[in-house]
Amino acid sequence: MAATAKMGGWQFLWRMISYAPKLYLIDGFFWILIEGLPVIPGLIIREFFNTLTGSSQLSLSPWSLVALLLVAEVGRIAALFVGRLTKTEHRFLMSSLLRRNLLERLLFRPGAQPLAASGETLQTVSPGEVISYFRDDAHQIEEIIAWTSQIVGAGLFALGSIAILLSVNVRITLFIFLPLIAMLVVVQQAETRLKWYRRASRQATQQVTGLIGEIFSSTQAIKVAGAETEVLDYFRKINEQRRQMMVKDQLLTALVKSVFQNIVSIGTGGILLLSSTSMQVSAGTLTVGDFALFVYYLSFVTYFLSFLGESIALFKQTEVSFERLEVLLSNTPAGESGSDGVKEDSSFSSSALVAHNPLYLNGFCDRKQPLPPIEKPYRDDSTCLQELAAFNLTYHYPGTHWGISDVNLKIARGSLTVITGRIGSGKTTLLRVLLGLLPLQAGTIYWNNRKVDDPANFFVPPRSAYTPQVPKFFSTSLRENILLGLEKPDLDLQNAITMAVFERDVADLDDGLETVVGPRGVRLSGGQLQRAAAARMFVHQPELLIFDDLSSALDVETEQTLWSRLFAARKVSTENDAAVTNWMPTFLVVSHRPWVLRRADHIIVLKDGKVEAQGKYKNLLNTCAEIQL
Amino acid sequence: MKIPLKQYWNLLADYLNRQWGRVTLLAIALFGSIGLQIVNPQILSYFIDTAVAGGSQTSLFAAALLFTGVALVTQVLAVAATYFGENVAWTATNALRADLAEHCLKLDLSFHKSRTPGELVERIDGDASTLSRFFSQFTIHVLGNIVLLFGILVVLLVEDWRAGLALSLFTVTALSTLIRLRSLAVPYWAALRQISAEFFGFLGEHLAGTEDIRANGAISYVMHRFYGILRRWRPLYHKARLAGTVLWGTTIGLFAIGNVIAFAVGAYLWNEGGITIGKVYLLFHYTNLLREPIEQIRTQLENLQQAEASIYRIRDLFQVKSKLSVGGNQRLSKGALSVTFQNVSFSYHEGGLRTGSRENLLPTSIPNPQSSEWVLQNISFSLPAGQVLGLLGHTGSGKTTLARLLLRLYDPQIGTIRLGSIATYEILLTELPQRVGLVTQDVQLFQTSVRNNLTFFNSQIDDKQILHALEVLGLSQWLYSLPNGLDTPLGSDSCGLSAGQAQLLAFARIFLKNPGLVILDEASSRLDPTTENLIEQAVDKLLEGRTGIIIAHRLATVQRADRIMILENGRMMEYGVCEDLRNNSNSRFARLLKTGLTDVLV
Repeated sequence: MAATAKMGGWQFLWRMISYAPKLYLIDGFFWILIEGLPVIPGLIIREFFNTLTGSSQLSLSPWSLVALLLVAEVGRIAALFVGRLTKTEHRFLMSSLLRRNLLERLLFRPGAQPLAASGETLQTVSPGEVISYFRDDAHQIEEIIAWTSQIVGAGLFALGSIAILLSVNVRITLFIFLPLIAMLVVVQQAETRLKWYRRASRQATQQVTGLIGEIFSSTQAIKVAGAETEVLDYFRKINEQRRQMMVKDQLLTALVKSVFQNIVSIGTGGILLLSSTSMQVSAGTLTVGDFALFVYYLSFVTYFLSFLGESIALFKQTEVSFERLEVLLSNTPAGESGSDGVKEDSSFSSSALVAHNPLYLNGFCDRKQPLPPIEKPYRDDSTCLQELAAFNLTYHYPGTHWGISDVNLKIARGSLTVITGRIGSGKTTLLRVLLGLLPLQAGTIYWNNRKVDDPANFFVPPRSAYTPQVPKFFSTSLRENILLGLEKPDLDLQNAITMAVFERDVADLDDGLETVVGPRGVRLSGGQLQRAAAARMFVHQPELLIFDDLSSALDVETEQTLWSRLFAARKVSTENDAAVTNWMPTFLVVSHRPWVLRRADHIIVLKDGKVEAQGKYKNLLNTCAEIQL
Repeated sequence: MKIPLKQYWNLLADYLNRQWGRVTLLAIALFGSIGLQIVNPQILSYFIDTAVAGGSQTSLFAAALLFTGVALVTQVLAVAATYFGENVAWTATNALRADLAEHCLKLDLSFHKSRTPGELVERIDGDASTLSRFFSQFTIHVLGNIVLLFGILVVLLVEDWRAGLALSLFTVTALSTLIRLRSLAVPYWAALRQISAEFFGFLGEHLAGTEDIRANGAISYVMHRFYGILRRWRPLYHKARLAGTVLWGTTIGLFAIGNVIAFAVGAYLWNEGGITIGKVYLLFHYTNLLREPIEQIRTQLENLQQAEASIYRIRDLFQVKSKLSVGGNQRLSKGALSVTFQNVSFSYHEGGLRTGSRENLLPTSIPNPQSSEWVLQNISFSLPAGQVLGLLGHTGSGKTTLARLLLRLYDPQIGTIRLGSIATYEILLTELPQRVGLVTQDVQLFQTSVRNNLTFFNSQIDDKQILHALEVLGLSQWLYSLPNGLDTPLGSDSCGLSAGQAQLLAFARIFLKNPGLVILDEASSRLDPTTENLIEQAVDKLLEGRTGIIIAHRLATVQRADRIMILENGRMMEYGVCEDLRNNSNSRFARLLKTGLTDVLV
């Protein structure tokens, strides 16, 4: 586990707060007012009682004191409205920034599956669980930051009121400080337990949300298996586990809170005892007004102390949130990345979590700001593929012997390389390692004899594009799903669709390219999905096209048409350099189709993660047992 | 003011009834602390009057001690209330979560196609969590605090009728104002939760597709969409919070007025010489004590505003009805099942996607009445028990749909499907999945043990059966390589489990049932030829004594078929005995064999 140079909770908070310092300061100012203005009513109340008992030094009528009270409260309400506005804005910025950084890191990190620490071992995290990071942990951090300015406000005025109390009666005032020390000790003691319970209850929550996500992404499978009852029983079981953890967590929090209030009550009792002797003395060192002031301020100081206590507890819990997020962001599936792979140390990811990135929100007075432009694929001379070579590619799934070892590749411009082999031989793994979707544990990749240091960011359009076995689509229009933000004229889009043999399917859809697809849209069949994904690749006209078993859901005729259109495109560009498209794609595909194998310039046969044989189909037919079947 | 009392009551009664014991204990703890809260100010008043009058030190000391003691007991009761409250809330909301999950799981697939798993997480867990407070505290706190309010006002009336009357009027005004403001925020909260559901839906989809996004260079595009959502989110967040601020500000204003009333009445009565200074203080203290219950009621109402939106959404969700009719009570005979289709037509559109609840975000396309809407059109055939049907057709020709109808994942709009001699809608719903097995292109795995993944959490199936199934499929080797055997957890990334191996696991699931009809939907599409050979025997075993439907677009896969059907655009182009079609050179099948020949023979 990568947990070396860890950033402390305070550092995290500081980085977050310094994202919008001006707003934070303005907000802080108003919250100091909101939290502090109640000091004034205390003084008015004291004067009121003293006026009644005739021990007041000021000569104000009770009625004007009552009017003053009203004015003070109106001021507070005004401050409240402004303060809530700034607070809302700041809260939104904080959670949005976290969510933004989380999302970007998860998209950028190699290895599609995020991991989290669970006890000692690393476990993969399902998409449903990841949502709890975006929801609960981001909210927790938003909360503690919102509280910091409030606690400063409350603290300042607690100090102010204590100063006033000291001027009234030193003995009683000092007596209120004793509980403070006791409380801090209690919190210190409860801290470790609190943290443990919070972590456990979070994990229990994660399990529940994860399971809901899984259940509803496999609804059909569950129905088909007739396993509704069993799945729900399991759901109830982990719900029950969560309840137990949650109740413990909440009970401990309530206990800590109650200890606070208890000590304060005893403090009030103490004031009663102490003041009893003072008030008894008819000389009147303590008036009824003073007593009212003490009780009023005591509740005020109490509020501050319990607020402080809750904040400390919340802060401890927030540290857990930071920790979880940090682990999520810093672990690569391999645990440790190889010497030549992408280097990811934890301090980098920690700062990535709180990095100051723009959120492109509109200005307050409806000033529209442009959203960031979508990155356009950048093409230059070095983009053009001459030769792709890879040596000793190695990757093993953490804790297993599954993966690939020492695979070498050499792919020439315009060639068709086919990777084949039986189930579990490492074909998909090889593609994912090459593309940087899994981190290299060993090996080097060269693009036109130049070493690729960061495959994950290198193997993107216009250099390459990739279709996984089961391509994923999002709930927007088909057009958007194919272009994914790319700006291309309609003609290019049409060409890509035609090349993918998808044009008739598009024409059959009610709204054509504007049809909403993805999980919430129109259902596409497996074959349609694969051809849509192929169009998604073609529209970029990348140098290197990588298909992971394109044919798995296509029928023979469709696949043949697709390949012949692709080869035709290649022919055009070899025969005529001045052709409209100067596209000379190179292919790296996983396939079993003899038809494809026969046309391949080079075949790599994998077995148990190693290259079993390679060469032309004709030669392999005679020599390689794996391919003869 | 519309408080949907009836709905709240129904929800409450339903989920609290199941745990009366705990609810009672919770009530005792809460009411106990309320009683003590009314008593303590009396001690204070007594203390002040005694002190000012120069009473004995012992009685002052006793009063101070009593005050401290009462405060302590109040705290103990408060902790007890938290304990019982949390238990009640979690038990109730867990029951609700389970009910919601069960309900959603029972809905037909058209419902699930219109919702992402992420959105359902938000519905089932998010909304239930919002209701958690509602269950544990709302009724009892609101009720308890109303009792506290009454207690204080009665005590005040006894002290002095004028003071009691003034503060009673104040209380009524304050409460009714706050309650009137209650409904103000509801639409804003609903809008806020809606966009948050949309965001988490977006997130779920895109996190599931990180490979596609990364490798196609679309990260900045996804971020662009993220910023777009943030932009729409912020004003909704501001509006919802502002509605809350109005409520909060009003509360503070009301209490300022309350204090003014208390002081005015106190000063007046003091000047009249009607009350002692201790009583003036008591008046002031009780006024402040009113604050707690009124604020509590306000907070609970604010929770209720959020809960209300959740309650509506939960109600909407519960109201979504499955479009499938309830099954009958017929049971299927043992052994192989014959399959008969009589003039079956089916469309995904008809009425289909409109059943979603009112907040369905994306308008789904409205079907046009053209015939191309039909995914299956007028299909009639009968497959004798024990025979194997090879179902051929291009992608999108309706093959998968045909399989779905057999399992009643959907019902056909026209026509009847019979298994054995029983129409599918007459068969007991739980019976169907037990007697019909389906292996699809996508194999869904759960993040739990290998055993649970194979048995679907059914603990009735013993390990022997599982081991046997794995052996038949040649997965024993794989099983032995696992660190903890069947107990090894299978992640969603599934520790190096390839797509092909996952499909073999899906086969194993079928082996563990004893279906009379087995449907293999492109089941071997992701298997390489070597592995495909390996499982051929397994498929033979699977089909032994059973009826089989093999859906394929590769001819090799249907070699074992007794009969062949060719679908095109939802119409049955050809159906017949395999041999006949093969020998008839005019048949499509024979022609297909010719074009596909290159692929069948190396």
